[in-house]
Amino acid sequence: MLRRKTVLSGFWLLVLLSLAVWLPMPGAPLDSGVVIVVNPSVPVNDLSFSEVRRIFLGERQFWSSSLRISLLMRAPATRDREVLLKTVYEMSEAQFRQHWIGKVFRAEATGTPQMFYSDEEIFGALAAIPGSIAAVETTRVPRGLKVIRIDGHLPGEPGYRLH
Amino acid sequence: MRYSLAFLCLLLQSMPAVSRAQAATPAESSEMVRALLDRIDRLEKRVAELESRSGAPGASTPTAPEAAAPVTQEAAKPNPAEAAPSQLVAEPQMTSGHAGMPQMTAPSPRIEGFSDINFAATDKHGSHSGFNEGQFVLHFNSALSSKVNFMGELSLTARTDAGTGTPAATGFNAEVERAIIQFQQNDYFKVSFGRYHTPINWWNMTFHHGQWLQTTAARPEMVQFGGSFLPIHFVGTLVEGTLPANGMNLNYNFGLGNGRSSVISRAGDWGDINNNKAWLAGLFSRPSGLYGFQFGGSVYRDEITRAAGNQFREWIQSAHVVWQKGDPELIAEFSNVTHREVGAMIQSNSQAWYVQAGYRLPWFEKLWKPYYRFEYIHIPGSDRLFNTIVEGKLVPVVPSLAGSTLGVRYDISSFAALKFEYRNQRRPGEPRVNGAFAQTSFTF
Repeated sequence: MLRRKTVLSGFWLLVLLSLAVWLPMPGAPLDSGVVIVVNPSVPVNDLSFSEVRRIFLGERQFWSSSLRISLLMRAPATRDREVLLKTVYEMSEAQFRQHWIGKVFRAEATGTPQMFYSDEEIFGALAAIPGSIAAVETTRVPRGLKVIRIDGHLPGEPGYRLH
Repeated sequence: MRYSLAFLCLLLQSMPAVSRAQAATPAESSEMVRALLDRIDRLEKRVAELESRSGAPGASTPTAPEAAAPVTQEAAKPNPAEAAPSQLVAEPQMTSGHAGMPQMTAPSPRIEGFSDINFAATDKHGSHSGFNEGQFVLHFNSALSSKVNFMGELSLTARTDAGTGTPAATGFNAEVERAIIQFQQNDYFKVSFGRYHTPINWWNMTFHHGQWLQTTAARPEMVQFGGSFLPIHFVGTLVEGTLPANGMNLNYNFGLGNGRSSVISRAGDWGDINNNKAWLAGLFSRPSGLYGFQFGGSVYRDEITRAAGNQFREWIQSAHVVWQKGDPELIAEFSNVTHREVGAMIQSNSQAWYVQAGYRLPWFEKLWKPYYRFEYIHIPGSDRLFNTIVEGKLVPVVPSLAGSTLGVRYDISSFAALKFEYRNQRRPGEPRVNGAFAQTSFTF
């Protein structure tokens, strides 16, 4: 009888543990959004979503006459890039590549966004390159970089669109 | 019983993983695999690069700012003490010529290429079916400073008469298609000098010589390379810029140049044929509220001197409407070309237009894109520049045309495509021509 009880308790414990796997985990990659961060030299604190789109499409290339926008992006198959492609570009990875090859080919840009393979690299470049801008996961923003509000919103606030 | 319970639990535990795996469509999975492979390739290259540079450790790797912190109102404010970039990090390694432009000792041009291989078979009398190499195009791009860029485009084109000997053997013609040096003051004002694809037609200023970039295998007849309806090339200077205009995103351009040469399909590369410069003005909008939509128009003015000495004044008015988000893709363009011979009373108007629609199918990993284009060119007999008189007969330099193109594009990879087309074209005084075309186009 006791053994049967133990088995049943063990069973229910396993069931609970199994169900716990289904619960959303804090910071789970499927739910996290991205935040737009810039080099502190950028003279902007708030951008409209359409301006963010124009910047990442390469249609707006200057913050001011003396400060050029430098686009930085994480490598393919990273959450930061996926959110950016889905929400801002509304493109697949292939369409994104074609967009930039076309842009360079039309002499509308001299290069594609610079690509980085780790957080350390992109944060280092963001801090070093005047006018640089990137989208990074909300949970990994380092100190010392400027976070841009989108349409007046920061991540987590109602109306924030980059997730 | 125990084994059954354990199995049930294992099943429950494995279900989230299965469901997450199933959440991705086959297209997304394949895209993801491609992206990961691409990333592995790049990482391998980077490791090799770092290993080869191990003699100078830490020369270029940027240092990340301090530890990550969740985004809060506090984090949104930059810390002035941490804001001086030069104190924070070593110089980053640049992958493109622009950002930061660190201590550049020599320009580092970026080179890309485009090419295409074609097969054509038509029922036109006297034509032969077969393969032909399309254009082999090299594209150079170099940032000379943070505000000065150079862009060059060189093409090698197979021709029946490009070789030596009599009769001339087949060979390749080399041509500098575009060579542009641009000074960018800001988004509102950019000035450039060089040889352009005349910015009076959306297709001509969007796809250039990269067949892979365009949906169809061929350009519309009104902007065909070597064609004469519109001046394809323009040598001179161009001022352009973008104005936000409350979300209308107005783009303007104004150009001054040599215009057409005495052979009207060619630009005045070596100089102008007369003292009347060609000029153009264009305006188009990409409204923020309609992502993917563009509309605009342009005017072009020139005076052309034929080899025989007669002169023509030329006015061109163009307009375009484009929806280019892929699903669907819609392009419509119209141009009216007005010619008037100097000293004559007759003025003629020739029109050309096309409408193209394409739709990327949602199935088969979104790799197939069927499309259709109808195009029309009308050249009146009174146009003495687009017609010539040979032995008392009116011979069109630019023939009228009504044609349809039905095809499908299949993207073999992110950088290569296959296109299959059926074309049906009718020109005045000639039998209708049907043709089947296949093309593989790519960038490298």
